[in-house]
Amino acid sequence: MLSRIADSLFWLARYIERAEYTARLLDVNFHMLLEQTQQTDLLRWNPLIVMAGEHERYGQMYDEVNAKNVFEFLAFREDNPSSIVQCIGKARENARTIRDRISREMWEDINGLYHAVGQFNPADEMGTGPHRFCTKVKVGSHRFHGVTEATLPHDEGWDFLRVGWSLERAEMTARLVDGQGRTMLEQPVPAANNYQWMAVLKSVGAFEAYHRQYHSSIEAEKVAEMLILHPLHPRSIRFSMGEVQSGLRGISGTGAGSYANEAERLTGKVLERLRYDTIGEIFEQGLHVYLKELMGMSNAIGEDIAQTYFYYAAVA
Amino acid sequence: MSANPAHTLVPGLFDHYDIGGFYDEMFASPGVPRAHYLKFFQSLAAMAPAQFEERRKLADLSFLLQGITFTVYNDGRGTERLFPFDLIPRILPWSEWDHVNRGLSQRVVALNLFLKDVYGPQKILKDRRIPRKLVYSCRNFRREMIGVEVPRGIYTHICGIDLVRDSKTGELCVLEDNARTPSGVSYVLENRLVMTRTLPDAFQAYEVQPVGAYPVELARILRSLSPREQEGNIVLLTPGIFNSAYFEHSFLAQQMGIELVEGRDLIVDGGVVYMKTIRGLTRVDVIYRRVDDEFLDSLSFRADSLLSVPGLMAAYRAGNVALANAVGNGVADDKAVYAFVPEFIRYYLGEEPILRSVETYLCSRSEDLRYVLEHLGELVVKVTGESGGYGMLIGPRADKARIEEFRQRIQADPRNYIAQPVVPLSRVPSYDPSTGSMGGRHVDLRPYCLYDGEKVIIVPGGLTRVALQRGSLVVNSSQGGGSKDTWVLLGDN
Repeated sequence: MLSRIADSLFWLARYIERAEYTARLLDVNFHMLLEQTQQTDLLRWNPLIVMAGEHERYGQMYDEVNAKNVFEFLAFREDNPSSIVQCIGKARENARTIRDRISREMWEDINGLYHAVGQFNPADEMGTGPHRFCTKVKVGSHRFHGVTEATLPHDEGWDFLRVGWSLERAEMTARLVDGQGRTMLEQPVPAANNYQWMAVLKSVGAFEAYHRQYHSSIEAEKVAEMLILHPLHPRSIRFSMGEVQSGLRGISGTGAGSYANEAERLTGKVLERLRYDTIGEIFEQGLHVYLKELMGMSNAIGEDIAQTYFYYAAVA
Repeated sequence: MSANPAHTLVPGLFDHYDIGGFYDEMFASPGVPRAHYLKFFQSLAAMAPAQFEERRKLADLSFLLQGITFTVYNDGRGTERLFPFDLIPRILPWSEWDHVNRGLSQRVVALNLFLKDVYGPQKILKDRRIPRKLVYSCRNFRREMIGVEVPRGIYTHICGIDLVRDSKTGELCVLEDNARTPSGVSYVLENRLVMTRTLPDAFQAYEVQPVGAYPVELARILRSLSPREQEGNIVLLTPGIFNSAYFEHSFLAQQMGIELVEGRDLIVDGGVVYMKTIRGLTRVDVIYRRVDDEFLDSLSFRADSLLSVPGLMAAYRAGNVALANAVGNGVADDKAVYAFVPEFIRYYLGEEPILRSVETYLCSRSEDLRYVLEHLGELVVKVTGESGGYGMLIGPRADKARIEEFRQRIQADPRNYIAQPVVPLSRVPSYDPSTGSMGGRHVDLRPYCLYDGEKVIIVPGGLTRVALQRGSLVVNSSQGGGSKDTWVLLGDN
């Protein structure tokens, strides 16, 4: 497989995942937090902006943090590279450069999603709220997963997609928990906090699983445990990192217990921690510190993948 | 043979159709369809305009969802546009196609022999059948190719030859040759697919020759060029996603099951071409390149090319990699050299040309130049090295200032211009959404000819391009043209 194609597959998956994750967060937060009238808008919406990694850019574009601005910023702004329409545009652009290598159905699916998203009129949507738009994106992403799973040979190309999806998901979950944790510390309003952690659970689709697991009310530590350490929930960091590892091993053909490159070594290291750390230990050393370290390692894994598979030094 | 005009059962699509003094591909005379169009006309005449409009929208949507678009750069952003597709097919009876097929084959073989000669022994120049000066002054004549032995002696693996039907004679004649990197064949295949989905009933009434074999034949020819004994590694080299024909590049690569590469994916080491894969470097044997000569290799041609594979020409000359089409083909499709192609056919094949060419005035000849300058208002003037409908003057449509501008440009550099009489192109009924009915629109026809060194293979038909703007003669997609499905029938109706 051409390095450029592997690169495009990897980013295609990352952009789709980022778009879906952002849509989930917007949807849940907007509708759930409508009920929480006494909270400030800042408390509601700040974690989302932090999570998108676009805190600074937002500050330059808007004076006020409120639902309407955040919706516009995260969903539609062309000058926000993390906005949903931008992510889907870039995913489609990546697909376009490799449309000879993906199945026709995959291309038509992502191309259709791109056109569908482009038909939304931001002004109308901001009037009715983000649900319709976000559902379109979420369902579109799910469908793309399904079409891919069903029509693309599960070879190394598939593995690059899987690594892209999972790495992005691990990072987004880390940012989500981190953003929530930090806002909570800044403005401690205990009851509201629980409500916000519930929103976090709902946005990653883990609300029901949480109750089956803990049989308790929503508590920050347990939510964090679920999202960071759960071995089987598809949006936990541990699970996602496991997928990254499995994808990387599929590409290199490495067996368990060893590694073929730096990306695999680091992934193994991260996974060891996620397997044996307890949530108590994590809170002891500080949630933010712990997650920051995870995000740093995840970044490094992305760079090592690029070094190993995508880049060729210029010939002398 | 003749049909009753009363076939127009439903009022609508053809109510005010006007043949307008041109050769109409569908109608022999007002209201009387030609024999090979009769069944199609009947199925269409039974259709209400609203029903037709619905089918048309279906076809458009299908193109949009498949992302069959081309890119226009006028607005600096590069927007994607649909290549407009018109649902009324261009139908050719077998006997006429058979004639065209033989004429094209003859022409492609002669063009290939000319290239082999002009970059080899140059007998035709020594025998003075074409002026040496004319050949050497072609912008796309590549001195670097003199003495280079190309794999299996094939230069013109793929030729797109533009035909037009002259309304005055009703005869299909050759307007120009495209022997470099002709594009559009993907539309032939996609148009057919959409056509069979959109108007299956009309399609079924005929026995239409299939076009799907093109990628298979092309792949077979490319494979045969490999310099190594073992199964060669074939790639399609594209300028990339921003090229207007990118859709076609990826489409063909996918259809042939070969890798689609950009210049940055390739590297030349020790005179051998490799591609950069996730497992290291893999040798490349055959390149179907859709990048123009001058951008291929910054060491040989334009140093500022961003698409370039430095060292590619050295690998090509050493015989370590095959290129299709060959480098330097531009000398054969130069618009001034065009005037000599009938002579090539006589010189190399000892035959008379089967297809007529359009009368051409070479401004490099002083008597032609004088004539051209005196008749600018009646002629079409073309820049010899250009393609894609750029740099053209259509005398009867131009204002005084534009004609004067061309007069000065021609006088400053006569070699760079040729002129031809305006050919009144034939027309095919085409749907005009603004009126909701059919109007006659001018068409040309570009068949795609593959040459394997022994015989010429042509998928029946080709791309019918149509000037969708009322009265326009320019069919190029970059200038507002669209396309139609082209049906070559198994019989004559």
